[in-house]
Amino acid sequence: MALRDIHGAEIDTLLARYAQRRSAVLPLLYIAQDTYGHLTDDAVREVAEIIGMPATDVFEVVGFYSLYYTKPMGKWVLQVCDDVPCCFCGAEELITALEQALGLRAHGETTRDGMFTLERVKCVAACNKAPVLQANLDYIYNLTADKADELLNELRRRADSGEQLSVSGRAATV
Amino acid sequence: MPDVSVTIDGTQINVPVGTNVVDAARLAGVAVPVFCYHPKMKPVGMCRMCLVEVYTPKVDPATRQVVMGEDGKPVLALMMNKLQTGCTTPISEGMVVNTASDRVKFAQKGVLEFLLTSHPLDCPVCDKGGECPLQNLTMQWGPDSSRFDYEDKIHFEKPIPLGDLILLDRERCILCSRCVRFEDELADDNVLGFGSRGRSWEIISKSTPAFDSKFSGNTTDICPVGALTSSDFRFKARVWELKSTPSVCNLCPVGCNTSLDMRYNELMRVMPRENDAVNEIWVCDKGRYGHRYAVQENRLTTPLIKRNGEFVSATWEQAYSLIAERLGSYSGAQVAGLAGPKLPNEDLFSFARLFRENLGSNNLDHRPGSPADLPLDDLPRTYGVGKGTNLMTLGKGTAVLVIGADPEEEAPLYQLRLRAIAQRGGDLTVVSGYPTKLERSATRKVRVKPGTEAQFALALVQAVAAEKLASEEVLGSGRLKFSDEYRRVLAAHKFDDLVAATGLAREVVITTAKAFASAEHGIIVYGRSAAADPAIPQALAAFAALTGKLGKANSGLIALRPGGNFRGALDMGVRPDAAGQPGLSAQQVWQQAGTGVKAVYIAALNPAAENPAAAQALQKLDFVVVQDLFLTETAQYADVVLPAAAVIEREGTFTNAERREQRFRQARQAPANLPADWQSFQAVAQLLAERAPVAVAARTLKKGAKVFTPEAPQGWTAMLTSDVNDMVTRSVSGYNAASYSALSTSRGAWGRQPNEAVYYDGTSYENTEGVGIQIAASAEDSRTTLQLNLSAPALRPVGELVLLPVARAYDGGDWVRGSKLSARQVPAHIIMSVADTARLDVGIGELVTVSSAAGSITLPVQIETGLDLGVALLPEVRGSTLGALLTGAQTAITVVKA
Ligand code: SF4
Ligand code: SF4
Ligand code: FES
Ligand code: FES
Repeated sequence: MALRDIHGAEIDTLLARYAQRRSAVLPLLYIAQDTYGHLTDDAVREVAEIIGMPATDVFEVVGFYSLYYTKPMGKWVLQVCDDVPCCFCGAEELITALEQALGLRAHGETTRDGMFTLERVKCVAACNKAPVLQANLDYIYNLTADKADELLNELRRRADSGEQLSVSGRAATV
Repeated sequence: MPDVSVTIDGTQINVPVGTNVVDAARLAGVAVPVFCYHPKMKPVGMCRMCLVEVYTPKVDPATRQVVMGEDGKPVLALMMNKLQTGCTTPISEGMVVNTASDRVKFAQKGVLEFLLTSHPLDCPVCDKGGECPLQNLTMQWGPDSSRFDYEDKIHFEKPIPLGDLILLDRERCILCSRCVRFEDELADDNVLGFGSRGRSWEIISKSTPAFDSKFSGNTTDICPVGALTSSDFRFKARVWELKSTPSVCNLCPVGCNTSLDMRYNELMRVMPRENDAVNEIWVCDKGRYGHRYAVQENRLTTPLIKRNGEFVSATWEQAYSLIAERLGSYSGAQVAGLAGPKLPNEDLFSFARLFRENLGSNNLDHRPGSPADLPLDDLPRTYGVGKGTNLMTLGKGTAVLVIGADPEEEAPLYQLRLRAIAQRGGDLTVVSGYPTKLERSATRKVRVKPGTEAQFALALVQAVAAEKLASEEVLGSGRLKFSDEYRRVLAAHKFDDLVAATGLAREVVITTAKAFASAEHGIIVYGRSAAADPAIPQALAAFAALTGKLGKANSGLIALRPGGNFRGALDMGVRPDAAGQPGLSAQQVWQQAGTGVKAVYIAALNPAAENPAAAQALQKLDFVVVQDLFLTETAQYADVVLPAAAVIEREGTFTNAERREQRFRQARQAPANLPADWQSFQAVAQLLAERAPVAVAARTLKKGAKVFTPEAPQGWTAMLTSDVNDMVTRSVSGYNAASYSALSTSRGAWGRQPNEAVYYDGTSYENTEGVGIQIAASAEDSRTTLQLNLSAPALRPVGELVLLPVARAYDGGDWVRGSKLSARQVPAHIIMSVADTARLDVGIGELVTVSSAAGSITLPVQIETGLDLGVALLPEVRGSTLGALLTGAQTAITVVKA
């Protein structure tokens, strides 16, 4: 099903919100990312088509922002901050624990069941509660290595409970 | 623009306000190294190579006065207290620039060292090696060693295709964005961009097809490193082995100056040659990749004579005498000559002479004789843009009216040149019945009801009177004469009715007319759709004349018609109407084949390919000569086939749409020493003159020749192409100043300044061959009276749909042979509106049968969202057999699902 069929009303509201159609490119990419799991080539072209932008320009946007994913991601994207303050408080130990628990490396790899993607990021601006992990849009504070398993179980439970998860900023609230 | 005075490395010069420091330095003879800056594009300050010290006079914040020092001179302050990028810093009064201080040198070394940290330095296998700004600037300004670890260089997979023509080596790319900006700003093709970020930043193209631009090759020229290479030239030669021969592209009437880069007898690449008044420093992809046909294996190399239905090789003597004998056996009225508008002037001139003088025939044409032929139109001879026209200098104060033309398809470089005029502040109106690319760049996009360009043009003429826009000077001169028909047509077509027919608001027409009339320079560009109805050029000429846009540089008409040298064909007299007694047009020749016309000599035209009627007519003739490079569809019907040298194998001249005559040189030895076309015409003429010297002499004394003044028949003694040119200069009106030596030494406003290699390395060649000579329009002579005429617009045919033929650059013509562009040629198709295709229930690619009073053909459908209901466009490409369908300028058709 095409984006228009699923999210037609939302797309129209977004397009109506801006003086220029191309201003809606970021939210439309989020919709596409949520719908298809990640931004496939076709998904990006579909957005370009809807807005009437040259495809190349939309690919430039996708490439620029780290929150647009061009390969399949887990239901939960775990981003562990490995910047200096978090490091002091045990980020590396946390990463090792997560890597072991999930059986992968924190280079953006995804578990086989498609549940978790693990990556390292730089400071996420919560140094006072280091070490910090961001799971999709949720911040998990003071996450020391010993709490890793517990967190993973909790996240699995939430996913299984049918909760609506989103790897994009679309569900973000301010 | 007022000048300001600046001092650059101690040299004081005056430069126009707004000039940036890099350009100002160039004027002072100082080279500031650049990578991202290119003088044809807006500066972006991305590479930091152009860092310089800029001092400005210190201003007292309280008094806003320049602070004076004890020596009585202004006190200088280092701008922002740090180095500035010269490309983004506009000069100001009293500025002092230092481009060679230790600080600057330190910064330049640093920038180069930094750029080289992720550069593979694979110069030995890089196409750019030898003409690479990165090599050159490193030589002159760079460090001799690097503090970075060689192993730390970033590596990417070696070249990846950006499209089928251009490959990208991401390791070599210095991310200057010249290629992206060229496509976005100049070409208006948003097909390149930056993907990813940081150290993974890379150039991407995501259009369909990838890198979908008709100007893509230019990016390889302006890329300051070897990141972009052309699939046509990659790894074929080192640039220093190449010998460049000045040439001129004849694939469309722009007449771009090119350089044929040869290694011995091999054509390695085609590059632009700088000519501001024609192509600046660009060529389109057709010009760059479309000249490989000449080096194909299947070229004809010996004359062929048909015996018992089979072609057998013959000697030149046999072929020439057979032709002379057979052609000479008919009366002038029974023979006809068709010579293509891609041939050089010398050939066209000789061809016209052969027919008019030796064969006594005025049956001459440069069109193929298809119903798709455009009516003859020579109005630009009188009302064309005047001598000295240079589109590159135009901007503010210039109004350009483009009507019934799709410049990118008909003459690609005009897309760049006209868009640039609009970007420099000119007023660009694009009037069309269907979407064209240029309208995106227009100040005023005027979409008329398809097929009503004639009504629009007449409405402009009416608006001149209604709004009192006529030029007092022109009216007062008494030069304008109005025919009775002119008055009758004006009286019969009321402004409001005309406007109503176009479907526009009357203000649109009036604003367009006013903008044009009030501009200092006014240029009207009209193309295929406009020329199909003679009423349109007439009305445009009247509009230009009344508003005083004639007889001077940068004002007047520019017609875009098929054939790179159509202008030469008109001037040299390869047209049925040139001499007193009009001859048959190509279309009439086919109609009278076998009855009135018995023999035809066809050179560089392939009428049978597109027009079934021509193929049938050819079979009815007693004798057919075809002269071409290949055994074409038409050649199959010939009794004698003569091969000929290709353009790159001989020299000659072409005249472009602005009537600029330009000389091209021989780059290559022709296979089997094939003669140029004119040499064969001369050989036949000589034999004919020997056969009947008296009769020939008598026939040449015709009076009342409009364009063409015949010479003595004995004058078939040319040894060199320049001898033919001598005759052209002596006998073709307007061409007297365009001798070969004058053409080769002509210098225009262009001219490289010192150190331009810093910008232009690999971009284009210095023009050592002259920039050509523009032939004056006859309106420039103040004694010429200007006879204005008008006609009623062609009647819109009544039918379910109206079919309009449209031109395509990628037309699948003979030039495609061996070209990398062959994959871009589209098969014949018909373009219809969303509404019409919905009504017929056909989707993209599905077949429909198109029928008119003339015939019917079956074609796949393309859908154009911008197209009006009730109109269908038929692109003129190989295989469209338009000739089978058309009944006039517009054709009524019915379409059913096939
Ligand atoms: S490919 Fe060439 S022109 Fe384009 S950004 Fe890279 S270096 Fe510049
Ligand atoms: S614009 Fe015309 S003349 Fe120039 S290169 Fe292209 S086809 Fe040749
Ligand atoms: S360093 Fe981890 S949140 Fe700032
Ligand atoms: S920053 Fe000026 S040339 Fe690149």
